[in-house]
Amino acid sequence: MYDTKSDQMYRFMENEESEGQPRSNQAPRTLISMENIWKTYQMGVEQLHALRDVSFQVEKGEYLAIIGPSGSGKSTLMNLIGCLDSPSKGNYWINGNLVSDMTDDELARIRNKEIGFVFQTFNLLARATALHNVELPLIYAGMRAAERHEKAMQALESVELGDRVGHKPNELSGGQRQRVAIARALVNHPSILLADEPTGALDTKTSYEIMELFEKLHQEGNTIILVTHEHDIAERAHRIITIRDGKIEKDEKTK
Amino acid sequence: MDYTETLRLAISAIWAHKLRSFLTLLGMIIGMAAFMLVLSLLQGFKVYVDEKIAGIGSNSFSIQRFSFEDFKDTDSINAAQRLKKELTFDELDYIREHAKLIDKIGAKAGNTSRDVRVGSETLKDVGISGVEPVIGEIDNIDIDYGRYFTVTENNNSMRVAFIGSDVAKNLFPNGDVLGNEIYISGIPYRIIGVRVAKGTVFGQPQDNFVQLPIKTFGANFGGLRFSRSPYFAATSKKEVKMDDAVEEVRTLLRIKRKIPPGEKDTFGIVTPDAISGLIGSFTNTFGTVILFVPGIALFVGAIVIMNIMLVAVTERTKEIGIRKSLGARQADILRQFLFEAATLSAIGGATGLLLAFLLGYIVSKIAIPTVIPWWAAVISISVSAGVGILAGLFPAWKAAQLDPIEALRAE
Ligand SMILES: Nc1ncnc2c1ncn2[C@@H]1O[C@H](COP(=O)(O)OP(=O)(O)OP(=O)(O)O)[C@@H](O)[C@H]1O
Ligand SMILES: Nc1ncnc2c1ncn2[C@@H]1O[C@H](COP(=O)(O)OP(=O)(O)OP(=O)(O)O)[C@@H](O)[C@H]1O
Ligand SMILES: [Mg+2]
Ligand SMILES: [Mg+2]
Repeated sequence: MYDTKSDQMYRFMENEESEGQPRSNQAPRTLISMENIWKTYQMGVEQLHALRDVSFQVEKGEYLAIIGPSGSGKSTLMNLIGCLDSPSKGNYWINGNLVSDMTDDELARIRNKEIGFVFQTFNLLARATALHNVELPLIYAGMRAAERHEKAMQALESVELGDRVGHKPNELSGGQRQRVAIARALVNHPSILLADEPTGALDTKTSYEIMELFEKLHQEGNTIILVTHEHDIAERAHRIITIRDGKIEKDEKTK
Repeated sequence: MDYTETLRLAISAIWAHKLRSFLTLLGMIIGMAAFMLVLSLLQGFKVYVDEKIAGIGSNSFSIQRFSFEDFKDTDSINAAQRLKKELTFDELDYIREHAKLIDKIGAKAGNTSRDVRVGSETLKDVGISGVEPVIGEIDNIDIDYGRYFTVTENNNSMRVAFIGSDVAKNLFPNGDVLGNEIYISGIPYRIIGVRVAKGTVFGQPQDNFVQLPIKTFGANFGGLRFSRSPYFAATSKKEVKMDDAVEEVRTLLRIKRKIPPGEKDTFGIVTPDAISGLIGSFTNTFGTVILFVPGIALFVGAIVIMNIMLVAVTERTKEIGIRKSLGARQADILRQFLFEAATLSAIGGATGLLLAFLLGYIVSKIAIPTVIPWWAAVISISVSAGVGILAGLFPAWKAAQLDPIEALRAE
């Protein structure tokens, strides 16, 4: 069965208390906690450090923007936060649980129920329609066909794609693909929204409409982390982290 | 993810590559079709034999000069020829008189091949045999027109004939058969009955024969000796076990022939059990050998499926990454690819089965009866799905193990 929002929150909070405790007292009680994270790629003989000794914490309910020049490691960091990648060195706790200790099924559950991820490159299933793409997270959540169909339609309508549900990604414009990716990230009503340049392909007006959707989710108590190059978008956040050459250069509260 | 969803996914993935799926399955289809066809031939043969035995009556057996074992090899044939003696009417009368467990017993003789003529029409190579009237009951002969022989006709060596439907059709195209005469070796015989058509079995026409009363046959075809020596067909009484009746006849014949205890029979007795046992052992050995070849085709088909599943996993690495990033568990991915392999393979199996049905239908029209037993159909689909699961296991496991971020980076 599909968890309602309150169930999800409740379970997530319960998790924090029951499973967070037995891990030594050093386990942080914040939602996201990164400690001396390194991500290193071995390119032939050379080592490429995409992230160097990154540490920071994110509380539940924060609204955080990550900015920085191209190639500075933003997407690398987002993949780590989203439990898709693992660090070369350092510890990452989500909700008090060390991610490297979690089983594959636990990680899959978190990706499915807690996290909504808008990828910089969209990552839509090329063979599937917009509707089916948005339905995917609900399928893996075990929701019945009729119900998930309705939810996916709602999500697509909220990004103004109600008239493109039957299109495959290659039958959509760049901006429309991005909006499908956003609808897919929002459809499961995630408690953590990770958005990697979610408005990169959108015009200003559409961008603002999308941002309003994000902010509505935030007002409901969920956490938003987004990567952006656009200043006006970053300024809407309550905290901005600036990354340069894989290091945190600045971490400031703006609201 | 539930099973209907997984199945839907599998079918759409297979459908997305129709031609490739078909080519992949060709080996499987041919293997399965060959397998089922061979099986259906063997089964058809068995059913035919069983029917034949049931037609004769499961309580009937025959007493002959030779038994089955005598034809094992040339040595036993030679030995049997020295040892075994022709049966006589004296012996028949002796059994008839003394047996208590026998219901009916009668003599037959022949099959001699002769031309049969009516007017200017000649039918070549018709099987001619002689029978006692009681054979009509022992062999459960179905009469289409007319009647079977009477005792008087036999006792007086009357020139009457009971014929097969092919002889009737070929010599009397206008259908007026009864009472007309046929000529065999220049002697006329009056037709008194026609048997119901049996068609061909294993390419052998069953309706190309003429039966005469056994005395008539003996009188006109050179005496009931050598290849025309009589043999007996008998049925046991309903209330007794056939084995007991067989034993009784054996004992009586041994007494009549004065065979000392401990010495071998100088005659043979053939029971339905002996026939079906012999044929059963033949089809079993033959079947094992001949099913081995399509078995190999199935095995090769399985390898081809494994190969295409490996290709599919590589091709769809990105898709797997996307699914994992959205919450697919290893079990979901494993199941997705296993289902795909199983569905693919089951489609191959079902298509092969269909092909076998069609071929079997054509074969039974032309030559041999074929039967695809329902259990074989069920097994073939399950086996092919099972083969698919086995073949899909490794590729699916590989897919499930993929690292989400590595998979997402694939193009
Ligand atoms: N799989 C990889 N193998 C090797 N190097 C990589 C790999 N992924 C990323 N990098 C390198 O790591 C660095 C950080 O990449 P990342 O994608 O995080 O940048 P970014 O900050 O998101 O940039 P952009 O704003 O252009 O999206 C880059 O120099 C990139 O070349
Ligand atoms: N292959 C296709 N099949 C059906 N509809 C299509 C196809 N390609 C584009 N479209 C539709 O045509 C319209 C224009 O698409 P186009 O890609 O030209 O938009 P665009 O102006 O480049 O938008 P964007 O700024 O988002 O890139 C869109 O509504 C899109 O859904
Ligand atoms: Mg990036
Ligand atoms: Mg465009």
